[in-house]
Amino acid sequence: MLASILASGLAMGAIYALIGITYNTMFATSRVMSFTAGQLGMLGGVLGSLFMLRWGLPPVLALPLTLAAAALFGVVTEFVAVRPVLKSLEQHLYVLSTLAVALLVQQVVAIEWSTEPQPFPRLLGIGSGVWDEKYWLPVAACAATVLGLEYLYRRTLVGRAFVAVAEDNYAARALGLPERNLRIASYALAGAVGALAGFAGGQLLLAFVANGPLLNFYGFIPVALGGLGNNRGAVIGGLALGLFQQAANFLAGGIFASVAVFSLFIVVLLAAPQGLFGAPAARRV
Amino acid sequence: MQITRRGLGLGVAGGAAALGLARPAIAQNEPIRFGWLASMTGPSSAPAIGFDRGVRFAAEAINAAGGVKGRRFEVITRDSQGEPTKAVNATQELISQSRVHAIWGPTNSGESLAVTAIMARAKMPNIHPCVVDSLIDPNRYPNAFRVAPSNGQWDDAVRRYATDVLKARKVAVFGDNTGYGVTAAKASSDAFKRENVEVVQLSNIDATQPDMTPDMLRARNAGAQAIVVWTVSTGMLARMLNTRAQMGWDVPFVGHPALSAGDIGGLLEKPENWRNVFCVGYRSCSYDSTGKLPARSQELVDRLQGKVNLNDSLLWWVACGVDAVNLVAKAVEATGSTASEAIIGHWNSLRKFPGYYGEYSFTPTQHNGYPGEDVVMSAANTGRNGAFALAPGYG
Amino acid sequence: MPTVAEALTPAAAPARPSVLPSLLPFLGILGLAALLPLSGNEYWAMIGTRAAIYWVLVSGLNLVVGYAGQLAIGWVALLALGAYTASVLAAGNLGGAPWPAFLATAAAGLVGAAAGVVVGSPALRLRTFYFAMTTLGFATIVTQVALAWQDVTGGGIGLPGPAFPAPFDTAWGFYYLCLGLAALCTWMAGNAARSRFGRALVAVRDAEVAAEANGISKPRLLVTVFVFAGATAGVAGSLFAGLQTYITPEAFSFDLSLLFFISILIGGRGSILGPLLGTVILTLLPEIAAPLAAWSTALYAALLLLIVLAIPGGIAALLDFRNRRPLESNRAIATRPALLGALLPEERRRGEGLALRGIVLAFGGVRAIDGLDIDVHPGEVHGLIGPNGSGKTTTLNVISGYYRPQQGTLALGGAPLPAGAPTLRAAHGIARTFQTPRVVGEESVLDNVMLGGTVEGRAGFAEALLALPRQRREERAMRERALAALRVVGLESLAEARADRLQHSELRFVEIARALALRPAFLLLDEPAAGLSTEEIRRLGALIRAIARQGTAVLLVEHHADLIFDICDRVTVLNLGRVLAAGTPAEIRSHKEVVSAYLGG
Repeated sequence: MLASILASGLAMGAIYALIGITYNTMFATSRVMSFTAGQLGMLGGVLGSLFMLRWGLPPVLALPLTLAAAALFGVVTEFVAVRPVLKSLEQHLYVLSTLAVALLVQQVVAIEWSTEPQPFPRLLGIGSGVWDEKYWLPVAACAATVLGLEYLYRRTLVGRAFVAVAEDNYAARALGLPERNLRIASYALAGAVGALAGFAGGQLLLAFVANGPLLNFYGFIPVALGGLGNNRGAVIGGLALGLFQQAANFLAGGIFASVAVFSLFIVVLLAAPQGLFGAPAARRV
Repeated sequence: MQITRRGLGLGVAGGAAALGLARPAIAQNEPIRFGWLASMTGPSSAPAIGFDRGVRFAAEAINAAGGVKGRRFEVITRDSQGEPTKAVNATQELISQSRVHAIWGPTNSGESLAVTAIMARAKMPNIHPCVVDSLIDPNRYPNAFRVAPSNGQWDDAVRRYATDVLKARKVAVFGDNTGYGVTAAKASSDAFKRENVEVVQLSNIDATQPDMTPDMLRARNAGAQAIVVWTVSTGMLARMLNTRAQMGWDVPFVGHPALSAGDIGGLLEKPENWRNVFCVGYRSCSYDSTGKLPARSQELVDRLQGKVNLNDSLLWWVACGVDAVNLVAKAVEATGSTASEAIIGHWNSLRKFPGYYGEYSFTPTQHNGYPGEDVVMSAANTGRNGAFALAPGYG
Repeated sequence: MPTVAEALTPAAAPARPSVLPSLLPFLGILGLAALLPLSGNEYWAMIGTRAAIYWVLVSGLNLVVGYAGQLAIGWVALLALGAYTASVLAAGNLGGAPWPAFLATAAAGLVGAAAGVVVGSPALRLRTFYFAMTTLGFATIVTQVALAWQDVTGGGIGLPGPAFPAPFDTAWGFYYLCLGLAALCTWMAGNAARSRFGRALVAVRDAEVAAEANGISKPRLLVTVFVFAGATAGVAGSLFAGLQTYITPEAFSFDLSLLFFISILIGGRGSILGPLLGTVILTLLPEIAAPLAAWSTALYAALLLLIVLAIPGGIAALLDFRNRRPLESNRAIATRPALLGALLPEERRRGEGLALRGIVLAFGGVRAIDGLDIDVHPGEVHGLIGPNGSGKTTTLNVISGYYRPQQGTLALGGAPLPAGAPTLRAAHGIARTFQTPRVVGEESVLDNVMLGGTVEGRAGFAEALLALPRQRREERAMRERALAALRVVGLESLAEARADRLQHSELRFVEIARALALRPAFLLLDEPAAGLSTEEIRRLGALIRAIARQGTAVLLVEHHADLIFDICDRVTVLNLGRVLAAGTPAEIRSHKEVVSAYLGG
């Protein structure tokens, strides 16, 4: 019983962490918290199921196709909902613009796909019980993403430019970095990361339109716990959330589990407003 | 046509009221307006989509035959998207703006609870298939009639099957964490306890929980001999059935009709995971031991052939939609009037009205029209053309 | 420069604008709404009632979101709480007799007010998006508790809403009740928005530091509006339950919460009319789109996107005709120091001198201020100069309370002045300006200057809501004083212009006017001459002298050596956080080290 709570808790935690990284990646270059993060996770599951079960493609083809489609959606989001509101960030119009895009994609999927959960195929056919691939695939995907991003940010020129833009937008622009192109690239990257979460977790979450708002919410918690922009914090926060949620589901039951999760979330945030691993606020005067 | 009328909005509303004065003169020729409150999009839209097929089929059939005493039968659909606030607006719109003569729906309990009093205030003849017991109360809502079983009737059938056929003395009761799931699971558990059946576990599970193993293990360790489930979430049901197979546990499942939903088939890891699962069904929509439907149901299926797809829906949804239209049409035909008192009065006098889904009987004090004995249990994995085989133990 | 006589002629002061033009749209909407029954159609009664109820909630939430800039996205939690409170009490489910509907509604308002503080309080600690998510968390908690607490709330089955007595028991009767409450809420929210509280909220949103310097305590202010926004939401909840006739947890959906929030953002920040129209439009829109059934939500989303992209300022910006008129192009700032006498009368409290002793402040390992002693005397201009990084602005920030020094004391007239606590400075008569002007761009110049008088307001928030006599009297006085301050700096003709339309140099004088509106005993000026023309600097110098002559102690941080030596009575030269030299301008001018290190020979 403990083993299965651990397995599903870590798996869900890894999915939440990946959505948290999706939030972070978009935020880094644009200072925008985009409501599309969870929808990207939903799209990963739905597109994966579409390509594999309805079109009959093998996973090796379906995965890159899913990631590419989601990356494209990320880029569209940047063009339609992010770039136009960057001038007036303090007005919080991004809340509306990204929300509108999220609602649009959700409604299109609901009508063109289904409002009921649809199957997602087994990918590798490896493992059973608590070692079933549906539990470890999200964890593996999360680990691969974190390592890949670390490599990107530390070892490659593009990655360093990303970091520079994330740390100081104005300075980076003054240095002549192609800030706009980097932002587009980060939205594409975020699209791929979000879709990977949905794809790797497809067997757990199924190809289900309602996963969008769900992941939006639970994917934000790791960001808040781990500190905005801190991917390692997001991973730790995500895994902690997954374990706590699954344990609460079992111990407190379905009604009180979400109450427990949200109460803990609020209490932790109040105790550590910058998140557990976040930097303190900058000086104001 | 509807778009322009609504689009003009407020400006036209005043004019419409003025025209209203002239209505009685043309009343005998105007169409019969049938309001249809459907939750066609949003979560759990599958039943409404099924009902809708039946409604459209029946309305077209009536109009093709020249209407009801020469009056066209017009269906006015409003999608409430599963939201009580939208359902309330849509109901008032059907009553006051579209001036329908009767309303069919809503199709889920949350919406129905919100609109029942509003329809009662307008004395609007209303038939609906929602199961919550308190929705039917001829004293408070003399206008509301149910053409499906109440939750109590479902509950009785499930409980009887679990105790009498499956001989379970210890059961685990599960619901999801929606309003319906919480209420239904509690009511079911209470009823088992009243009959001295031990409820070893009563849980409300978050329908999005990815893994049901811990809850199922707990039920097995507590010695459950049957699992009783109340949810419309196909994802949750499929996960539970898959978990049962992985545990190598052959405990029977009994409960909500959604256990037989076609979507579950796709979500199961193996087809045999669907065995030993019994859900609420209806005699009219069940195959007997020779694989035959009742004659009258077969007649409907034949008529639907090629016009309505039954494979991804349920026969009872479609049949019930057909019956809803016919109940209104026959009331107008019998009384020659679309006045609400006439329609309600006619329904109050119905004895064994031969619908396709069931034979409905109403009296001024009994608005639960569906015959309880027609609620049966089906084998969930036997779906064919939207109908199911009777569960073992039903003759 | 105009003579005193010229400046005092009534023509120089802008006529007090009539409130009628700004009231007309509201009266128009109310008039149209009162005529709605002519439709003779109860469907429109329902939609109209719904819009009115939503507006009752939004009118309060608007102060939180539109004015204070807090992203309270889950305010449906309070609607649910109000609805359940009223319904449970009206049904008598808590034991005891069923409550009358109006009493239950009042109770819902009280419960909402208390819960508003609980749901809102994380805003005192959390940043925008984080706060947004905590409000959503509360929304989930409220509905889940309603689901679980079956004996009282009916659980998933729910319970009937309160039934309002005659004449409010018909569709149109109830409509008029809700319309009346909506009008009342509009009036109250408008009163609050146009009071010092409304100005303070916007200042907290757009210029938090300046708000603190003017004595505005963000926590207390936010808690006050959360109480109001919670109360209107609670009352709205009771009406909502009455309209729905029956409530279940499912009725309080995220979509509904979004409707409230979006109404405000597309309505435009810092406006009452915009969000009012936003609420009405968003309530109507799904109804008009209803026949499109399945695609109505997608259409709604597309429209939302279009509105955000096409009119980012919201409906309010679309309707702001006044600020589209071009401002006079070749305008000059004509300061009138002679008018200071009216603003800073002799009988106001006389400053007693500010003394800093042994102040040490280090950031990390760097000592920004390292053992600083300074005395600023009433009636004197005290110059503070030094190279970049020598600790000038840091010293101002210590005096203003933004920084808490590690060592040393501050004293005001011999009494110790607590370190830190920037919001307490204004009450001590300490006013300041900033290196980069911190004004509220979206507010009028006059409103910005009136912010300076905030600390002297005595009328409470409730008096502001109801526009009671004391509040009106104070508001008039603040307005007169702000206009007087604007006349002193020569910007009164721009009083009604939005501040972000002014030039940089003008904003510097707006800040000075705001500081003067406080009638300061101490005035801290941080590089006020930066970016000004020679002529403007000359006028500024004369103005500063005149301010000091009225008895105010002025501490002036400046790079323009000429200005310093022209107008200062005393100069302190800082280097690396220490006093390099101090004395009269003549002494400093001949100080060898200063000349070599700073003045450059």
